[in-house]
Amino acid sequence: MNPRWLAGKVAASLVTLVFVLAFNFFLFRVMGDPTTQLARLPRASPAEIEKLKSYYGLDKPITGQFLDYAGDTARLDLGISQRTRRSVWDEIKDAIPWTLLLVGTGTVLATLIGAWLGVIAATRRGRPADDGLLGFSLFTYASPEYWIGIILILVFAVWLPIFPAGQQMTPGEDFSSWFAQAADVAEHLVLPATAMTLMLLGQYFLIMRSSMVDVLTEDFITVKRAIGLPWDRVVRQHAVPNALLPLVTLSAIQFGIVAGGAVTIETIFSWPGLGELTYDAINDKDFPVLQGTFLVFSVAVIIANLIADCLYFVLDPRVQTS
Amino acid sequence: MTDLRVRDLLFDTWRGRIGLGVLGLFVFLAIFGSAIAPDNPTASSLDVLAAPSADHWLGTTENGEDVFSQLLAGARVSIVVGFAAAAISAVLGATVGLLGGYFGGWTDRTLDAFENWFLVIPQIPLMIVLARLLEPSLTVLIAVIGLTSWAGTGRIVRAQVLTLRERAFVERARALGASDGYIIRTHILPNTLPLIFANTVLIVAVAILSEAALAFLGLGDPTRISWGTMLENAFSSGAPSAGAWWYVIPPGLCITLLVLSVSILGYLFEEYVNPRLREQHA
Amino acid sequence: MSALLEIRDLRVTHEERPILDGVDLTLERGEALGLAGESGCGKTTTALALMKLLPASFRQSGTMTLRPPDIEEPINVERRTEAGMQVVRWRHVSLVFQGAMNSLDPVKRVEHQVAEAITLHERPASAGDVRARIDELLTTVGLTPALGRRYAHQLSGGQRQRVMIALALACRPSLVIADEPTTALDVVMQAQILELLEHLREQLGLALILISHDLGVLAETCDRIAIMYAGRIVETGPVREVFAAPQHPYTKRLLDSLPVIGGSRELAAAIPGGPPDPGDLPQGCRFRPRCPYAAEKCLEDPALREVRPAQAAACHFAPWAEWPAAHEAAVEGAAG
Repeated sequence: MNPRWLAGKVAASLVTLVFVLAFNFFLFRVMGDPTTQLARLPRASPAEIEKLKSYYGLDKPITGQFLDYAGDTARLDLGISQRTRRSVWDEIKDAIPWTLLLVGTGTVLATLIGAWLGVIAATRRGRPADDGLLGFSLFTYASPEYWIGIILILVFAVWLPIFPAGQQMTPGEDFSSWFAQAADVAEHLVLPATAMTLMLLGQYFLIMRSSMVDVLTEDFITVKRAIGLPWDRVVRQHAVPNALLPLVTLSAIQFGIVAGGAVTIETIFSWPGLGELTYDAINDKDFPVLQGTFLVFSVAVIIANLIADCLYFVLDPRVQTS
Repeated sequence: MTDLRVRDLLFDTWRGRIGLGVLGLFVFLAIFGSAIAPDNPTASSLDVLAAPSADHWLGTTENGEDVFSQLLAGARVSIVVGFAAAAISAVLGATVGLLGGYFGGWTDRTLDAFENWFLVIPQIPLMIVLARLLEPSLTVLIAVIGLTSWAGTGRIVRAQVLTLRERAFVERARALGASDGYIIRTHILPNTLPLIFANTVLIVAVAILSEAALAFLGLGDPTRISWGTMLENAFSSGAPSAGAWWYVIPPGLCITLLVLSVSILGYLFEEYVNPRLREQHA
Repeated sequence: MSALLEIRDLRVTHEERPILDGVDLTLERGEALGLAGESGCGKTTTALALMKLLPASFRQSGTMTLRPPDIEEPINVERRTEAGMQVVRWRHVSLVFQGAMNSLDPVKRVEHQVAEAITLHERPASAGDVRARIDELLTTVGLTPALGRRYAHQLSGGQRQRVMIALALACRPSLVIADEPTTALDVVMQAQILELLEHLREQLGLALILISHDLGVLAETCDRIAIMYAGRIVETGPVREVFAAPQHPYTKRLLDSLPVIGGSRELAAAIPGGPPDPGDLPQGCRFRPRCPYAAEKCLEDPALREVRPAQAAACHFAPWAEWPAAHEAAVEGAAG
């Protein structure tokens, strides 16, 4: 791997990260000035407000405050949750694994199924299967993911009580083994993961289909047929690998959507991840937590983009040798 | 390849007719929905979470309000926010794209960095943060969505301007002493308008979905009924567990159908503007 | 002795429009046949039809019989299914496609793609054998075997063209079709590729169908030449004879339009008009609207018939002992 190229990408990511920090900082300091919020505290005398000000470092010049903020963030000091009084980082720390589980499952399934359907649609372009799949993906794109989640609950948890309607585990259960607990979580994961998969499926499908359609018009595909390769091998061994490349870069753009979906879907299913944390913070106007989750979401998207870039680098020999 | 006219696209294709028809229906509801609703959408009653009946075609909410009336009234917010936010996004995106693409140099580099940042940041979390900091209202929603959705348009416009800038008629105009403003206004802008328009229609779809999501999370205008707030109320009052499908399915369905119709039209325009896409569908 | 390739009455239609309208071709073993004509006259379509590589929207009919020297039974291409064709393709007839720019899979190494063709049709004893064969092929076309490790984008245009030729030879076919192998190459490269093809023919006893719109290229390399116009063969014959004494007005005009070094300084005469639209074919002889010698008789379809020893032409007035002055006949004929 070309180290200079990698260093360039990492540097660009760091710059974006700094901008995110700055944005976060200025937004909450400038727009949600803590002093005005502090002033809402009942019976706070001016002297007490001054003391709190200096405690929070609000009497320093803005750049000083920003550096403090950056330093704090680096040390994972993201403030205190106004609701639970725990440290924001602790709240986030507990929530991250659950969000990863949900988002990870959804993304992997959506990519695999979406890519597979995309190949099918592209090789049957213009025929009923293609039209049907296009219609389906357009529908899942247009429908709000939380609405789909609600319908899933309605059908599979209320009318047909197959799956639990929310949360990540059966509360109060004593699990005999690690495996039994994992199975319980898995059962609770089915519906939310389905909602997340359906939300993302359409995008990956469309991208893969479009990519395959482009690749199938290339000259080398005809050459592979001319050599005597059966069509299914031409598709599998030559069309698909070339079509995957744009899929990697284009789906990187979708990562932001995943974050939004996590918020709404976790809310619907009371899934204890970053999304539900955000939802609670919205309702309680818990700004430190909001700031924290926004930061984590942004960092996650930046990292995901970086991974996508590296993945593309590994897959495309044309980039490797330039 | 025949030179399609927009009118032919809209009225002579199945996609155009369905898209236009459904969108037209919702625009009609946005204007007249409240007027033709059978009941006052906020009139509560004791008939709580009741199933559909002759009195209430889509049953009632957790406060005994008529779901059908709320549904009709909710169209307005989606349409208004969707189109207004998309308009703001279009103006912002077009401006950034035009200025950056035309002037190049440091202007472009700064604007481009600015734009890239907006593209990387997760949109819904950003909207959540902005909307929560300001007190939620229709205006805030429109502003927040408009200010965060422009980057895609900006990028497309910039690419187009870059190619246009090198074309002969621009060089000729410059040689004749035309000012930058004149060139942009009379040569560059008219040639990018179709692109901007096609892209903006798709942004309308995104804006409608964004408003619904924000409303669902409790950041909608509390003084207005929208499909998103209907879903929020339904969810927080336990309608799904109660099996109140009449409350839960219609608002989401309306959002879906509206977004579908706008998207179909958007893709139609996109094909018209981008001949390469047209060939793929042939 | 039976011919290597016999095409009889090949017809190809696309959405009711005729692309090929009764093509007859014969090729002997080891012979080099040039297929000439303007763009769009159906040369590439003929090659693709022979290998049954046309898209599904094309319909073809007619017989195409291959008699490779290394197998017993003749191959009736028109009767073969897709699975049956997969066995025939590349093993008995291969194709060097027009424009080598994008003919290789960009994400696989060159050697992998040559090996793919080899292992598809042969059962080599070991990986070593395949490797040896690949090196041999690359050397034959004038490339160093090390280039096999490269990807397509790391090769120059000329190198890519040579790779495609090496690929075409991979399964030792008895017939290679080269479609415009020298277009998009500079003159020096052109000469090298032609020389290579000639050398390979001699060395391997290959039969070659060389498709080109460039008569000069065909004159150098081919034994016989077939001129195509609007989906039909209008003249065939030994290359020397056809060039010295063309028997079809179209051939004559093509030859006239070649600039001659040291010849008169007259502007090369272009043929007025353009080839007919397949959806709107003229009645009778396809060339009639552009033919300076056209007459009443030409409203009748002329068949391709032998007009001189080994030379056939589709013209009512062939054989032409000499060609009348063009502008006189043009005034009379072009109106017809």
